Amino acid sequence: MNTGLLLPNSFPFVMSTSLNAWSDALSDLYLLGLPLGLVIIAAIPLVFIALYALTYGVYGERKISAFMQDRLGPMEVGKWGILQTLADILKLLQKEDIVNKSADKFLFVIGPGVLFVGSFLAFAVLPFGPAFIGADLNVGLFYAIGIVALEVVGILAAGWGSNNKWALYGAIRSVAQIVSYEIPAAIAILCGAMMAGTLSMQQFNLLQEGPYGFVHFYLFQNPIAWLPFIIYFIASLAETNRAPFDIPEAESELVAGYFTEYTGMKFAVIFLAEYGSMFMVSAIISIVFLGGWNSPLPNIGSVALNDWTSGPVWGAFWIIMKGFFFIFIQMWLRWTLPRLRVDQLMHLCWKVLTPFAFVAFVLVAVWEIYVK
Amino acid sequence: MQELGTSEHSSLRVTPQGKDRVLIEKDLSSEEMVLNMGPQHPSTHGVLRLECKTDGEVVIEAEPYLGYLHRCFEKYAEKVDYPAVVPFVDRMDYLASMNNDLAYCITVEKLLDIEIPRRVEFIRVLVSELNRIASHLVAIGTYAIDLGAFTPFLFCFRDREHILGLLEWASGARMLYNYILIGGVAEDLPEGFMERTREFVTYFRPKAVELQKLLTENEIFVKRTKGVGMMPADVAINYGWSGPMLRGSGVDWDLRKIDGYSVYPELDFKVCLPDGKLSDIGDSLSRHLVRAMEMEESLSIIEQCLDMMPREDGFNPRAAIPKRIRPKAGEVYGRAENPRGELGFYIQSDGKSTSPLRCKARSSCFVNLSAMKELSMGQLIPDLVAIIGSIDIVLGEVDR
Amino acid sequence: MSEYFRDIGNSVTTILTGMGITLRHFFNAVKRKGDAGIDDDNYFAQVDGLATLQYPKEAIPTPETGRYRLYCDISDCIGCKQCERACPIDCIIIETVKVTKDDLDVCGKTSGGQQKRFWVPVFDIDVAQCMTCGICVAVCPTECLYHTQVSDFSEFRRENMIYHFGNLSKLETEAKKKKAEEEKKAAPKPKPKPKPAPEVQPAEGG
Repeated sequence: MNTGLLLPNSFPFVMSTSLNAWSDALSDLYLLGLPLGLVIIAAIPLVFIALYALTYGVYGERKISAFMQDRLGPMEVGKWGILQTLADILKLLQKEDIVNKSADKFLFVIGPGVLFVGSFLAFAVLPFGPAFIGADLNVGLFYAIGIVALEVVGILAAGWGSNNKWALYGAIRSVAQIVSYEIPAAIAILCGAMMAGTLSMQQFNLLQEGPYGFVHFYLFQNPIAWLPFIIYFIASLAETNRAPFDIPEAESELVAGYFTEYTGMKFAVIFLAEYGSMFMVSAIISIVFLGGWNSPLPNIGSVALNDWTSGPVWGAFWIIMKGFFFIFIQMWLRWTLPRLRVDQLMHLCWKVLTPFAFVAFVLVAVWEIYVK
Repeated sequence: MQELGTSEHSSLRVTPQGKDRVLIEKDLSSEEMVLNMGPQHPSTHGVLRLECKTDGEVVIEAEPYLGYLHRCFEKYAEKVDYPAVVPFVDRMDYLASMNNDLAYCITVEKLLDIEIPRRVEFIRVLVSELNRIASHLVAIGTYAIDLGAFTPFLFCFRDREHILGLLEWASGARMLYNYILIGGVAEDLPEGFMERTREFVTYFRPKAVELQKLLTENEIFVKRTKGVGMMPADVAINYGWSGPMLRGSGVDWDLRKIDGYSVYPELDFKVCLPDGKLSDIGDSLSRHLVRAMEMEESLSIIEQCLDMMPREDGFNPRAAIPKRIRPKAGEVYGRAENPRGELGFYIQSDGKSTSPLRCKARSSCFVNLSAMKELSMGQLIPDLVAIIGSIDIVLGEVDR
Repeated sequence: MSEYFRDIGNSVTTILTGMGITLRHFFNAVKRKGDAGIDDDNYFAQVDGLATLQYPKEAIPTPETGRYRLYCDISDCIGCKQCERACPIDCIIIETVKVTKDDLDVCGKTSGGQQKRFWVPVFDIDVAQCMTCGICVAVCPTECLYHTQVSDFSEFRRENMIYHFGNLSKLETEAKKKKAEEEKKAAPKPKPKPKPAPEVQPAEGG
């Protein structure tokens, strides 16, 4: 790392090595017998990256949709409207928290909570870089897709507890949809797990590390990997209730679906949970198929792009960028496509995605066992 | 819909679509849920209220309730003078005010039996065809939004904005024009209007193609609308359908051809009918396609009008407007092809008064909506939304 | 089976086409529509790109023919009340007082040179009711009533939407009324007309 090119070389060097050392030192910090350093390491990604990113996910969605539709989008709060989301959160905080009289108060209140917790629990196993990971479980991937599916409970509680017919429709549709799409999604992810031979999220990243950047990613390691990749992407759209599978909250049919009756901060929490799981599935797909926090840039001779762009902070940068890329595609699809009908949704799941997922599973297995 | 149930609560329902949608509930006790859709609902296009009996997602019966936008047009027409009815006519189908005005004015002119200057006729046809495009853009855009596609809606509104600008330039108002008057038009076209309209035509053609690629040809859109809300031609005729709705069922019926009012007989245009390649004839998609094709046809009519319009210096468009309108006793029914179908006015005059003794409007939306109950039977809720959207109602005209 | 694959193929191609269109618009977002009005010669040369205009700061200019807020140039009004009668929704209220002979000069003429024969102490237009149909403008004989291009005139209080155009104060009105009464009394007996014209009626009937 000490050949020529001092300036571009030294900066990532500082970022990578010293940060690693810094985080190692921090993890040993105990205060009053509590592992304060570890808490900080786990909390930095969650609080400062995830929430910040999500807030700006909302802003991004508004701007992206606006630009695709020849509009300007938010422009008033701050330069280019960048403070719009904060203003919205402030507004929602001030709103009256209405629980309608005939609602099942317990379910109505815990619904958004379960949703939020479900979507953010998964961040615990999300490696934001070599140094930032809440918990490196050996079944991290399994845990993540399992915990994201916990949202169903929240949605059902919210929809049923609202005591509103539209909300009930939304909740029932959502449950049917998410439970069905778990199957192709899980099989597609299984293909990834088969390639890696592990379920640990951090292991996935480490296995896809290499000097040639993107070449080591599983998407490019296996000629069939694109199939589970696409299947998981489509299924993840359905799992997060994004268009064209947004039938649980289809605004032109069900008014607002399962959150019709929600106001104020409860609504904001549901909203954040949606963006949270959007980021989560994007992160999962980038970890399994696109190398997670590994830099996609290859080392070309002495131009060691990959080495320069690796390290804890770079790792967080790459995984967030990859997540944002998929979020962008999700938004792009949302602002292009009409919505599917319930039966077509099920047709797509059971008659198209699931068979193709099985085919992909077999092909990947054959490749992994006999060819590789 | 057939019911093959064994007991009160268990039934096997086969919808008109046949084998694809079968709902079996044998031993479960179940009952129908009444779902009130509207008057405040995003996709009832205003204040339509549907009382749906639903069995899960399947709508067994949908009963439309009207009257939330009733503004006593017919009574008002009896109260004010003949020319002063025009602003109220504007407010019936507020998306196609020019066409409404045209229908009303040709009716009164029929009653008065007066001659209209040729240039005025061309101006009238020009502005009503522009307004037809604007109206169809709203119809297509809101249909897209009903089916969950937001972007085409805004593209449609962006293009409609230019038409509204043109019409504002000509008439002074953006939506409720009061431009076509009995015996003439309010103002001559402003200088440069014709060139700008030509530019609009060249601007809009590629946009229409883009819209077609983005929305009409989209597989999801096709899947959502094809075969939904099937209406055979004979049933459509029996329900009194008109306009794109009837043409969507494959009936060659266009009042511009059949009545040949104004200067339409001189213009070369074809009646748009679905060819059955992309859609099943009579379904929601056919109706959407007819609207999309009619926009193209209207563009060509506009170009012809611009070419054929006689130029006169110092032309007074109000020259033929009668000073006092007091028709002789009698009655008349006049009609015109509106973007939503046949808009007719039945006017009775007692020969003494300067206001109609009776003015009855035959509203196309109202008549088209009457088939709602038949169309909605056994459909899914998303299909119900698709059907309402394809009927393209404007509640201002339904309730008047 | 072939239909199954054709469907998948169709879906993929049409979805990609649609995504291409939206992406083109996304990248076209660097351009913005100008704020030229439709009567500008280059109107269609500047409509590409983002179509939004940020309203209070930028606005689509109203064309000269724009028909918005109703305005009365009261100095030209002859108090014929034709507009009041023509208005389909009765949003114009006019009260007039006959001008006595000695006041004719004071009252003056319209810009068209027509002698005004009525004081117009009350000429109220409720612009909140007005539907800008333009019928009153068409009947006005002196063209003193017209729609202006001002389209944004919202108010916080509804009373402020009633525009008063009358050009006499209350005191003046009382005085003029008294004067007119006196003149009427002093005047020679009404001419042998079958029915005396109502005091505010101009020569031409409705």
